[in-house]
Amino acid sequence: MSQFRFVFVVFCFTAVLIFAVNLRSANDRIFYERCACNADMSRLKQELGTKQLLLEGLINPAAISQRVDKSNTDK
Amino acid sequence: MVSFLALGGRCFYLQFYRNQHYSEACLAQRRSYRNLRPQRGVILDCRGRVLAASNKVQTIFAEPRAIQDPKETSSDLAPIVDIGAHIICQQILESRNPGFARIKTTTDYNQCSAATKIYGIGVQSDWQRHYPMGNLAANVIGFTSLDNRGLEGIELKYDKELSGSAARNIFFADVYRRPIRAKQQEGILTNGKGIILTIDATIQQFTRDELIKQYENYEAESAVAIVAEPKTGAILAMVSLPDFNPADIRTTDPNNFRSRAITDWYEPGSILKPVTVAIALEAGVVNKTEKIFCENGNYRGEGFGRIGEYRRGFGNLTVREILINSSNIGMAKIGQRLGKDRLHDGLKLFGFGRKTGIELPGEVDGLLRPANTWDGYSVTRIPFGQEICVTSMQLIRAFCILANGGRLVRPFMVRAVVDNDGNITELKRPPPPVGYIIKPEVAKWVVGEAMASVVNEGTGKRAKLDKWQVFGKTGTANIALSDSRGYSDRDYVASFVAGAPAEDPAIVVLVSIRKPNRSLGKGYTGGAVSSPVAAKIIERTLTYLGVE
Repeated sequence: MSQFRFVFVVFCFTAVLIFAVNLRSANDRIFYERCACNADMSRLKQELGTKQLLLEGLINPAAISQRVDKSNTDK
Repeated sequence: MVSFLALGGRCFYLQFYRNQHYSEACLAQRRSYRNLRPQRGVILDCRGRVLAASNKVQTIFAEPRAIQDPKETSSDLAPIVDIGAHIICQQILESRNPGFARIKTTTDYNQCSAATKIYGIGVQSDWQRHYPMGNLAANVIGFTSLDNRGLEGIELKYDKELSGSAARNIFFADVYRRPIRAKQQEGILTNGKGIILTIDATIQQFTRDELIKQYENYEAESAVAIVAEPKTGAILAMVSLPDFNPADIRTTDPNNFRSRAITDWYEPGSILKPVTVAIALEAGVVNKTEKIFCENGNYRGEGFGRIGEYRRGFGNLTVREILINSSNIGMAKIGQRLGKDRLHDGLKLFGFGRKTGIELPGEVDGLLRPANTWDGYSVTRIPFGQEICVTSMQLIRAFCILANGGRLVRPFMVRAVVDNDGNITELKRPPPPVGYIIKPEVAKWVVGEAMASVVNEGTGKRAKLDKWQVFGKTGTANIALSDSRGYSDRDYVASFVAGAPAEDPAIVVLVSIRKPNRSLGKGYTGGAVSSPVAAKIIERTLTYLGVE
């Protein structure tokens, strides 16, 4: 029984140590994850911006005028 | 014992004497920097359409000094970026910069993340400026340099507001260079503010379409067209030809970058006559009904030489008829009645001889010599637009003053400055008009009667429209010779200023075409060359604005 208790105590002690180490680095890990999420969000915003610019390039008066002129020329 | 002492001594040396050095080395190894470059502000037209905006692009680059085997690296990279391996290899080997060899600029993040897995290949983010409307309003918006500094137009004038402010993040990184803890931020990252213009892209497109047809048709040297709201001075369109594409400035003639409406001055010719008539009526030296004898086309006298007419001579004309027939002699006599001081002061009040203050760089103030330098020639020539140099913007201001009942108005092009959340931080409303330059009844008569008659009966007939009463004045100004005295008999500036409806003007339009090719036999006068363009611009603009 005392052997079992000894193993149990060592196990718990080890677990606590591992948990403490993990906890110590939690701040850094979460900081990195936050930076990664910010980078993703920024990337998505930029992709949206690119799409918006593409759309603007298609529907602005200059582009429409060019297409109308082209279709009139083709006719 | 000796070993122990040696070890102890070494530890002491490292801890005490070399402490600073190793602390700094450790910090340098752990520290990482990230430069945060702000996004340049957008430039929008009055209806929120994008004229200029910035977006991030990724540049896939190679670091030649870190690559052991360029051929192998090129073969690995080629299928990812869809560029031939031999081309990539060439770029790496021929790069003058051992730390950077540009491979491809792309917005595809999948390509970028695949490329970074290859040793010696990196990805750099840059802001790139986009101009979705190309040549349209290029002379107004301007363009930026490769490092996003404004070099012309609104991009230059509002560079500070558009640029924003950069920052630098310093943080601790792990062995894989991943950020794990923030240390410090130098500066505050602020994206550039947005600029909203008074320009309407649709009206700008109409104006450019019509102007470029005539400019090409007459093989002119340059052309300018401005559309303005007379009541506020807001510029709805401003076109300067030849223009350029702001995305492709390397192959453009630098002369095309300037906005000729504000940088080029010229003698306006007959187009200035309504302004002189308004000054004379205001001063009371002429009235609407009296007749002035126009010397049958030949007016000569001491101190002012000989003045003729462009076509035939005239006898007695009223002021209205002087404008309809564009009589130089009639205007010379009005000038003599005014005298140099009143004429000079009147022109100054209308804004000639000084900048309008429009929000674009490079504006010139024209040329209106002080009255004490005038002689008999000046007081007879200036009334019909010689011996005075003006810009197109000054002319449009003067006619906006006439069209809005004589009230002072200042042309402006920037409506508001907005922050990143779309809140207006600065409303560029021009100061409310204070006082009158000329009496409202004088302005109303000049516009509604005299200038309307020019279109209905006179030299501006080609500007007549069925739906609205157009008012206007033509101008065919000789261009002074650059290498001798006198004027060229081949080169002219054909101008037409107009507005509609005459009863309550909603817009004023100026079209000015420099050196239309006379040898084409299609005409060269303001009435022939510029007035049809102005008429089309007015028609399309008033229809678009829904003016009855």
